[in-house]
Amino acid sequence: MTTGAEPVAAGVDAQLIVDEILNLGVTHIIVVPDTFQRTLIAKLTERDSPKLVRVCTEDEAMGVNAGLYMGGQRPMMLIQNNGIYASINTMKAIALDAKVPTFIMVGQFLRDVTKRVEDNRVRAVRLLEPTLDTWGVPHYRLEGPNDLGVFREAYDRAQSDLGPACVLVGAPTV
Amino acid sequence: MERSEAIDILAEGRGDAISVATMQSASPWYEAGQSDGDHVDASACMGSASSLGLGLAIARPDRKVMVLDGDGSLLMQLGSLVSIAESSPANFYHFVFANGLNQSTGNQPVPGQGKFDWTALALASGYRHAMKIEAAEDLIEQLPQILELEGPVLIDLTIAREETPPRFPGISMAGQVAKLKQRLAGH
Repeated sequence: MTTGAEPVAAGVDAQLIVDEILNLGVTHIIVVPDTFQRTLIAKLTERDSPKLVRVCTEDEAMGVNAGLYMGGQRPMMLIQNNGIYASINTMKAIALDAKVPTFIMVGQFLRDVTKRVEDNRVRAVRLLEPTLDTWGVPHYRLEGPNDLGVFREAYDRAQSDLGPACVLVGAPTV
Repeated sequence: MERSEAIDILAEGRGDAISVATMQSASPWYEAGQSDGDHVDASACMGSASSLGLGLAIARPDRKVMVLDGDGSLLMQLGSLVSIAESSPANFYHFVFANGLNQSTGNQPVPGQGKFDWTALALASGYRHAMKIEAAEDLIEQLPQILELEGPVLIDLTIAREETPPRFPGISMAGQVAKLKQRLAGH
């Protein structure tokens, strides 16, 4: 049971996440900036592989992900919660209707880590999972280092379902 | 020029390029026999043709990628010009069918109709080349050289207004995605 300001979610070491991504065989990471994954983006920027593809919006990221997939690559996306809201139509058209495996890391920007997601005051945090549920998009919480197994689970789900699957990054990466 | 003229000229000059088409270019491209090969339509995704093309161009640098975009469509993801320039794929050829109208929804004018310049936008975004072509005969003459340029290249095609009802090929994008992935895995 959580009381007071005791953290519910703990930041995961960015290098551990990089290792998980490498284990998945990801070739390209399509990035729209996210505060919660800042240290991860910095770590990925230092590497030659997987290749970072910087785009302006999450709509574009969905399209680029699909193009890379059709071209035989193993892409993924890195965005924030507000980006899901911004790109729902594209997720509907490309990831869901066109059946494109779309593995997405989503930072829960502005999440108060001392509270459960459901109890957060910020709508973008609190309503993300209900929004994904509405569209039938599988999602997995990354609330700390013990949850690293969700990467394989979510990635494989996207491939087997031919659709989107999200890892929700619940605390800033460290 | 008429849309049908531009479609026929691009089909004739396509070679083995991978193609992406959207909105009112999708049906005539299909009728020109161009959807049978390495092709995908951007359907119901409000401006994603350029982004789909970017992903394909990055994935397959050994193949040219032709994107048949619309001006209304591209305006919906205008930032993709900068994203394309950021990755700067040398094999990316972006044909914008510009009639100043959102034809698929009933020929409403696009925002800023007549006030902005596609070639200036593309070059300012970082495309290597951009040009405007108004007449079919000029497209016939210039297309072979255009497809030899190092991309990304944007061609602003001046397309005449059409009064015919909007048409859509009615082909499942999911089927096209699966087929194109399979085809590209083979060659």
